[in-house]
Amino acid sequence: MLTGTQVKDVIIKPDAPSTLLLEKHADYIAAYGSKKDDYEYTLSEYLRMSGIYWGLTVMDLMGELPRMNQQEIVDFIKACQHECGGISASIGHDPHLLYTLSAVQILCLYDSVDAIDVDKVVDPFHTLFGVAGLSLLGDEQIKPVNPVLCMPEDVLQRIGLQPDLLS
Amino acid sequence: QHGRVKIKTTAQQEEEKRKEREKKLKIYVAARDACFSKRNEGIWDDEALQLTQQLLSSNPDFATLWNYRREILMHLETVKDKDEVQKIYEAELSFTESCLKVNPKSYGSWHHRGWVSARLPRPDWARELTLCDRCLSLDDRNFHCWDYRRMVVKMSGVPVDQELAFTDRLIGSNFSNYSSWHYRSTLLPLLHPESPDPPPHLLLKPIPIGSLVQNAFFTDPNDQSAWFYYRWLLGRAEREEMISCVYVNRDEERVAVAFSRPVNSVGLFLVLDGQPQRVEWRSVHPRFKQSPVWICNLPPGTISDITNERNLTVHWTEKHTHRDCALYTGRTESWCRDSATDQELFRSELSVEKTSVLQSELQSVKQLQELEPLNKWCLLTIILLMRALDPLGYEQEMLAHFRTLKEVDSMRSAYYSDLCSKFMIENTILKMEYAEVRVFSISDKNLTTLCHLDQLLLVTHINLSSNHLQRLPPQFAMLQCLEVLEADNNAIENLEGVYHLPKLEEVLLKNNSILKLVVYLQTLASCPKLKRLDLRGNPVTQTANVESELAELLPSVTDLLL
Repeated sequence: MLTGTQVKDVIIKPDAPSTLLLEKHADYIAAYGSKKDDYEYTLSEYLRMSGIYWGLTVMDLMGELPRMNQQEIVDFIKACQHECGGISASIGHDPHLLYTLSAVQILCLYDSVDAIDVDKVVDPFHTLFGVAGLSLLGDEQIKPVNPVLCMPEDVLQRIGLQPDLLS
Repeated sequence: QHGRVKIKTTAQQEEEKRKEREKKLKIYVAARDACFSKRNEGIWDDEALQLTQQLLSSNPDFATLWNYRREILMHLETVKDKDEVQKIYEAELSFTESCLKVNPKSYGSWHHRGWVSARLPRPDWARELTLCDRCLSLDDRNFHCWDYRRMVVKMSGVPVDQELAFTDRLIGSNFSNYSSWHYRSTLLPLLHPESPDPPPHLLLKPIPIGSLVQNAFFTDPNDQSAWFYYRWLLGRAEREEMISCVYVNRDEERVAVAFSRPVNSVGLFLVLDGQPQRVEWRSVHPRFKQSPVWICNLPPGTISDITNERNLTVHWTEKHTHRDCALYTGRTESWCRDSATDQELFRSELSVEKTSVLQSELQSVKQLQELEPLNKWCLLTIILLMRALDPLGYEQEMLAHFRTLKEVDSMRSAYYSDLCSKFMIENTILKMEYAEVRVFSISDKNLTTLCHLDQLLLVTHINLSSNHLQRLPPQFAMLQCLEVLEADNNAIENLEGVYHLPKLEEVLLKNNSILKLVVYLQTLASCPKLKRLDLRGNPVTQTANVESELAELLPSVTDLLL
């Protein structure tokens, strides 16, 4: 019997929760960074920079960004920039495009791009991520990119998606 | 008492678990720190291989450790002979295989395997293909495996038609294989690299384009993948990027340029009678740094003299293209435009063969639709086929099919309404062009959204009455020639797009949902020629002092209807 890639519509039951528990979400994320004794947390160190970025954007969308420790995070990013200009996911790890982009996105959220050596970061990776990173760093030749949705602004305009950020 | 099993309390079990996790963490951290310190000291020995192996076995996504491992291996290449290297790398292959068993979707493991395969003195590509087959049989949508397969095929020179036969087998045994269909779509163009657009596969007469895919959706009409593949077969190549319209007006000494896609103004130059002009380009709305329409004003007096003929050229250096527009004596305005048909905007030019192929496809899918009247994919595909064949001729049938589609798949009825709106706008543009008029009339067509507004640069009158529109978005400001806006009987609450329209005289918005007028007064005030404003039947008319506020902020509006 062929199963097929069916469209799976879900019926939301009438008694399903209808409120988004924003406070609880914010509390969870705010507390997440202090889980240093947790096994799974330690295992995910290889993507820490991106994890921080994901948490921060959500907090920002909820208007709760001030609850995160900006100085600690910016210091962490500084400690992760390598000689070559690239940035690693965590201290001691190798630099990588993914985490370089996440770091740049975090610094844009905090309007602190100058915390790192910008000239060094501008690196010849010609991928979508690298180009997005270059755009966020102010390159005039590249179309503007929205740092939260990480998509070109003109695409967002064309599809009518321009989020009004709470902060 | 003897022989009795001691049962632990839940608290004790919790404590044991916690101690175990703590121990696990300690071991992990010790190994990790040992790796980092060895690497910092530049040590490339067996112990380092052991340590990284231990850690990567349970955490194959720890990319830095794969990097370290590769450093060690590259060092070993320099000190061992070829046979030893072969053995080492074969051991590496089995190591990655065991990692893949733990997590078949680890970027690190697949990448490392690819790296090893490329460096193996005597690679066994057949074995690599077999690994891919095995992996795909467990999960036919594992894109890591597909990517790896593509690499193996490339490195070992597997011919395209052999891979095509592979997709035949996969699809034949299980139609629900989105990845196989996708792979197939990348292989077909490789068979005919010299074919220009439209997609070459549609021109292959000896191979019935529908057979495999038709089989698939006739057998299981609810499987999405075959339908998406089919939609791709019907697809069109990307349109050429170009300047689609240049418009000049002596009264405002204004030039408007429309492009086939949103652009920025870098590399846009204006030349008048052979002389470059220093102008400042602006997009139609401050929100847009990228826009399909750009405007500039010439210095006062440059083209205002109607007794002179002027020749204008717009250069788009980014695409090494330009467009000329002659402004004739006695004429206030002039333009140069490719029609939507010329631009193949909404459908491709069809050859006779392609038309007959598409028509027989339409017949087939219609047959299926009779057997499966509740199947949404059939209905949607029929609509797309009709759009490709004859958008105006099939208009009524299309509307009927959309009505059925919204009943059959009501969860997505908003999507279908928007899609239908888009197609109706396309048809109206085509009709307007055939009639060679500058009036765009699309009333009572259940419009829920506006699009293709960049095609309406030359329109002087627009009638959007009796639809379901909620806003006139910023893109509406592309209607640079607009004189009359009729949009009665909608649900409009947002007028952002009625912005800096230099010729706009009448705005008719009876029976809409406008409430916060103050927000839009600025935009309306930016239209210098606005004389008539009809806001009857809007909630805003119930606001106190609205009449006096409007009179004060829009002094040029002499005909205000509340």
